[in-house]
Amino acid sequence: MNRAREAAAHRGEMANPYLSTERLPESLVVRIHGPWLFEHVSELEEASRMVREAADRHVEFRCDDLEEIDIAGAWVLYDRAQQLRETGLTSEFKGFDAAHFKFLQHIIDAAAIREHAHDLDARRPAHPIRAALVGIGRIVTRGVEDTGQVTRWLGEGLRLPTRMMLRETITQLYQAGVQAIPVVMMISFLIGIVLAYQGASQLQRLGAQVFVVDMVSIAVVREMGALLAAIMVAGRSGSAFAASLGTMKLNEEVDAMQVMGLNPTRMLVLPRIFALVIALPALTLFANAAGLAGGALITIGALDVSTLQFVERVSASTDMNDFLAGLIKTPVFAFLIAAVGTLRGMQVRRSAEELGLKTTEAVVLSIVLIICADAFFTTVYTRIGF
Amino acid sequence: MNEPIIEVRGLVNRFGHQVVHDHLDLSVRRDEILGLVGGSGSGKSVLMRSILGLHPYNEGEITVMDQRIRYGEAGPSTCWGVLFQGGALLSNLTVQENVELPIALHSDMPLQTRHELASLKLIMVGLPLSAADKYPSELSGGMRKRVALARALAMEPRILFLDEPTAGLDPIAATEFDELITYLHDNLDLTILMITHDVDSLFNTCNRIAVLVDQQVRVGTAEEIIGDTHPWIREYFGAPRSKRAWLAKQASEQERRRG
Repeated sequence: MNRAREAAAHRGEMANPYLSTERLPESLVVRIHGPWLFEHVSELEEASRMVREAADRHVEFRCDDLEEIDIAGAWVLYDRAQQLRETGLTSEFKGFDAAHFKFLQHIIDAAAIREHAHDLDARRPAHPIRAALVGIGRIVTRGVEDTGQVTRWLGEGLRLPTRMMLRETITQLYQAGVQAIPVVMMISFLIGIVLAYQGASQLQRLGAQVFVVDMVSIAVVREMGALLAAIMVAGRSGSAFAASLGTMKLNEEVDAMQVMGLNPTRMLVLPRIFALVIALPALTLFANAAGLAGGALITIGALDVSTLQFVERVSASTDMNDFLAGLIKTPVFAFLIAAVGTLRGMQVRRSAEELGLKTTEAVVLSIVLIICADAFFTTVYTRIGF
Repeated sequence: MNEPIIEVRGLVNRFGHQVVHDHLDLSVRRDEILGLVGGSGSGKSVLMRSILGLHPYNEGEITVMDQRIRYGEAGPSTCWGVLFQGGALLSNLTVQENVELPIALHSDMPLQTRHELASLKLIMVGLPLSAADKYPSELSGGMRKRVALARALAMEPRILFLDEPTAGLDPIAATEFDELITYLHDNLDLTILMITHDVDSLFNTCNRIAVLVDQQVRVGTAEEIIGDTHPWIREYFGAPRSKRAWLAKQASEQERRRG
């Protein structure tokens, strides 16, 4: 039987199963033809539905022409015949040793399966409003939990640092800070160029080309330098923190540290937060310089502004307050990036899948938080006239 | 029925200068359970992966159910099911969804039927339906293997590949799993190729044993393989735990004959 099927399947000339019915005075005779296999389940369902509709008396299934059957086919046949019985009709199978049926009967509570499948189906269209509310509730509780966790970590930071913590901090300073200098400077330089061109095309119409310098310098120093550095670091180090701590959790390295009496929070989390709080303001200085350089390149090189004019305009438009306004934000950004990254990393518990999710979440969440914080700062600055 | 369902001819696998398989021949007969053993690095997994079309083998010819297997090409994916060592369940899907996935890929049956068939498979492998909504990470190792087995069985396969099915299970779970495999084999016209290091499951479930030694494979019944004079085979089956497993198996058989 198996061979016939495989050979036929190979030639692509597999016959389809079908049912033929014959109405006798006492019974409805249903002849089962062809193979009743997994690949024909759709046809089987259709055929058995038609039998159910036609059935009005005792149903006799004749299996003499049944070529082959597997569990899926047997299930459909068996269970749909059962359903017939539930409508008050009787049914029987003839001409079939039905080993598969015995197998099914042996292991199966058909009603339970049908019910379970029905539940799955019914659950699909979940109430959208309820789902949304549950989702919001979950986000809020998680936010509260996360904040609590970070606060506890900071509590640990009140104790004196150990030498090992310092060493870890220096490593992180190098990886998250020093190694980020080139890329931060590069994007900041390019944004400086973009700002200069964009500003020029607008201000040129007013004949106020020289104010391009003002615009670039204020934008870079107050906003772009800090923001670009922070976003770059979120992408670089926020993800690295989450991924490396997450991997350490999965490898049980964190547990190993714990049982050896090393405090993972102090050894892993705090050094990263501390390192970033130092590194990001420094990186912002580099970003500011590079952004101004980009602006200078375009204004001096392409817009007929002399070097002297450039320096003059920068010092006239931008003062220490602007510089500080940009810089003050950066430790906050750094804290957000590092806290979110390490938190998500430490939350990895079970699988590689979760590691990926948490890492993505760390980057996205920290960038969202950075922008929120930036909006907050700008609003406050404007209100107090800083 | 003794004709081969899997046929491997002249298989050569090399990694750099290291030859793993040197013109290896293996045929798996229809409806048998063939256990595949060999030392670490002897190429058990590579052999299985070659058969599954997951490994670019260097030379040779592999056919499964009269279909040539080539690396990277879709094999007879509706005719075989694979239980990977770690289960390889998709961690972002629930148990139910994992088992339904192959059905959904290969059939356009009504949703209700799909749910039913998947649930049926879960029950067949001895899982309660209450586990259906769980995610793989919420399950114990033994349950995860059962779900993976249910997924492998979802398409009513003719051939089942098992990669160390009892590895990482405690002795009770391992014995149960062996019994489950024997039970399914007895009821479902299945051919099973199974890599295993567990001598208990080797003796209790397999009809024949294939040993990978010297880049070749030696196949025989348990008695034949234990009688083999190859030094590695003697060492493997002469080891205390193998002997104990063999004695236990014989004792249990005698008991069955008596009782």
